[in-house]
Amino acid sequence: MAKKIANENANPARTKRSMGVKVGRRISNTFVYIVLILMTVIWLFPFFGIVLESFRVETPQQVSYLWPKEFGWDNYYKLFNETDFMRWFINTGFMGICTAFLQVFFILSVSYTLSRMRFKGRKFLMNFMLILGMFPGFLTMILIYKVFAEAGLTMEMAPVGLIIVYCASSGMGYYVSKGFFDTIPKSLDEAARVDGATRFQVFYKVIMPMAKPIVIYTILMGFMAPWGDFMTASYIIHENSEGMNVAVGMYEWLSKTNLNTHYTMFCAGGVVVAVPVTALFLMLQKYYVEGVTGGAVKG
Amino acid sequence: MKKFLCATLALIMCLGLFAGCAPAADNNGGNTGADLSGTYDITMWVSEKEGVADQFQSQIDAFEAANPGITINAKIEGVTEADAASKVIADVATAPDLYCFAQDQLARLVQAAALAKPGKAAQDVIIANNDSGSVTAVKVAGEIYAYPMTSDNGYYMYYDKSIITEEDAKDLAKLVAACEKSGKKFRFALENAWYTAAFFFATGCEHTWTTDANGDFTSVNDTFNSDKGMIAMKGMQILAKSTAYDSDADKFTDAGVIVTGTWNAEAAKTHFGNNLAATKLPSFTVDGKTYQLGSYSGYKMMGVKPQTDAKRGAVLQLLAQFLTNEENQLARFNSFGWGPSNVKAQANEAVKANESLAALAAQNAFAVPQGQIAGVFWDNAKLLGAVAKAATSDAELQKGLDDYTKALDAFTSLTPAQRAAFTVIGGIKDTGWGTDFEMKEDPKGTWTSVEAFDLTAGTEFKVRQGMGWKVAFGDNTANADTSIPLSDKPNYKVEAAGKYYIQLVVAEDGQTAVINLVAAN
Repeated sequence: MAKKIANENANPARTKRSMGVKVGRRISNTFVYIVLILMTVIWLFPFFGIVLESFRVETPQQVSYLWPKEFGWDNYYKLFNETDFMRWFINTGFMGICTAFLQVFFILSVSYTLSRMRFKGRKFLMNFMLILGMFPGFLTMILIYKVFAEAGLTMEMAPVGLIIVYCASSGMGYYVSKGFFDTIPKSLDEAARVDGATRFQVFYKVIMPMAKPIVIYTILMGFMAPWGDFMTASYIIHENSEGMNVAVGMYEWLSKTNLNTHYTMFCAGGVVVAVPVTALFLMLQKYYVEGVTGGAVKG
Repeated sequence: MKKFLCATLALIMCLGLFAGCAPAADNNGGNTGADLSGTYDITMWVSEKEGVADQFQSQIDAFEAANPGITINAKIEGVTEADAASKVIADVATAPDLYCFAQDQLARLVQAAALAKPGKAAQDVIIANNDSGSVTAVKVAGEIYAYPMTSDNGYYMYYDKSIITEEDAKDLAKLVAACEKSGKKFRFALENAWYTAAFFFATGCEHTWTTDANGDFTSVNDTFNSDKGMIAMKGMQILAKSTAYDSDADKFTDAGVIVTGTWNAEAAKTHFGNNLAATKLPSFTVDGKTYQLGSYSGYKMMGVKPQTDAKRGAVLQLLAQFLTNEENQLARFNSFGWGPSNVKAQANEAVKANESLAALAAQNAFAVPQGQIAGVFWDNAKLLGAVAKAATSDAELQKGLDDYTKALDAFTSLTPAQRAAFTVIGGIKDTGWGTDFEMKEDPKGTWTSVEAFDLTAGTEFKVRQGMGWKVAFGDNTANADTSIPLSDKPNYKVEAAGKYYIQLVVAEDGQTAVINLVAAN
């Protein structure tokens, strides 16, 4: 197509027609941009709305207008001084950090092993984990609750219990990182082995420096999980405000009795929750994209 | 200092262990005779509303001051009273020792054995001090299971008096017109069965359930699918078809009128400001006849979880009784505007002057006390609101009602054995015709009640088949008279008080029967 257009331009007798093509392209571009802008507005609007609501101080209820009549920090002040929000925030952050590091360990171990070593039942194991991963997590809800309640890992101890839940089966999410490891030539391992390195040394000293994007990708994924988790968290926490994460804690503000007095504070909480996750993403964005695409080269 | 405190606490706890050696106290609320001193770590769920937990803590402090020797370390969580039961039932073992809930959850909690009955003395205190509606509300099969806390779980109307006159507020159509004119919303949660029922109660429809002593639902008396129900559906359309109608009554955005309850009293003040007015629900007119909207009136209560340690159980009952007494109910009224169930607190001048509670009281004259109702009602009656909004013909309205009846029938369908069996129902054990008592057939044709009842002279009851009213025997003269239909026999009246088994001997053709009272030894 491009070639054809170039030819047309080369022929002065046909400039009129080439103008038509240019106009046509401009029209289609304009149309595409309008659609994209519309989609952006639709997509960004809720975020924009939440930020504005969080600064609205004239009434804590929901209102029919968007732009606050009075701006102020009251909602944020109340959030940190009059509620348990700080505690929930710390709980969630703690869970996020622990989960991130434990998950990295599990996932990388599993995926490296599956990528490099050949052993009996490897294929079966991979398929088995894939199938197991297809079952939705809530199927095990009752059993997990019973076991954790007996072990004392619910209520106040919920953060510990939840870290176990998030990390326990994390090894099953090996696909992306295994795909990444598969792209690193095996000859590197072999060379190191010949030089007398143990398996662990190969992993630690040779592979890891090259696997930075995938490590960061795994950390990010692990850190994200607890911030948005509501379902598992709500039944493990079982209404104990000391053990709550932000999602479960803030949900109480949406109840019939609280909605009309806590709505703007809920928005403020939402904004605060978004801060660490957004900051981390901005910092590590480069690696994140590399990690996802790197792992997808060879599945 | 901290060390000293730790040591003292440890010592107190050790003393507590010794106290366990004393003869176990009767698990009896209000039993102050036994020595209950000790330290108790308890957990409690109260309303999630801001400040409620703090106030309960200060009331517990007052309880400690009033009962020297008892130390209570309470951990109080805010958990919505609207749904406490499902959270308690999820795991009764880790459920809190004391919890507050709305009355509709009582049957479920009794079924799950999550409530300890107050002792006899405490029951007497409950009966003597609370309004009759709330006392009925805390009963399942005639037994008291919880402490009434508020009598305000109903709804009424707030409106903007700058756009609606007091006179117009009495009529639904005028309210709708005023909202349309000023571009305001009429917020009424017609798609929530609790509110949908208002229109059906207006036209005289009924919906009540019977339960057995375990709290299981046995049968329903429902007249929603009738001519009266049809009028109710048309009444709903006056509102639902309007552009001003909004079924989300949890928020106040643009509200000119909102149907809600005391939990939104503060929010209503913020929204309407000086234009706030509260009153009973309006009436509506269909085919020239006017009907006053009804409502559900409900109660909130506090329950005690059954305890393995009798002494601890007794302390918890005492505490629950204290927390729901006149003074503490008044304190909650002053802080949160919760309407007391305590009759003395209700007589308080400030309570009487409260605008929201006055509106609730006005509406209560038309309210139906909310007994125990099966979930199938809440799930299906709410659809009627949506049907009324969408329907364009009477046939569509009728179809909505038919679907509703079908859903109820599917729920209440009995096994063949249950349909053939007879049960006793009546003013027995204070159940007010709300409970079926089981009977066993032996030999064929002779049905005897499983338990013996303390019957006073004048008590009325019936023996019915299949938990319905198509075959129900009562007075023996009428039982023998085949000209009186089986569905229309008068009640059996007890002549002499005593403890009896109730026995029914049915003739082979099933058309006549004799009821005997067999004295129990």
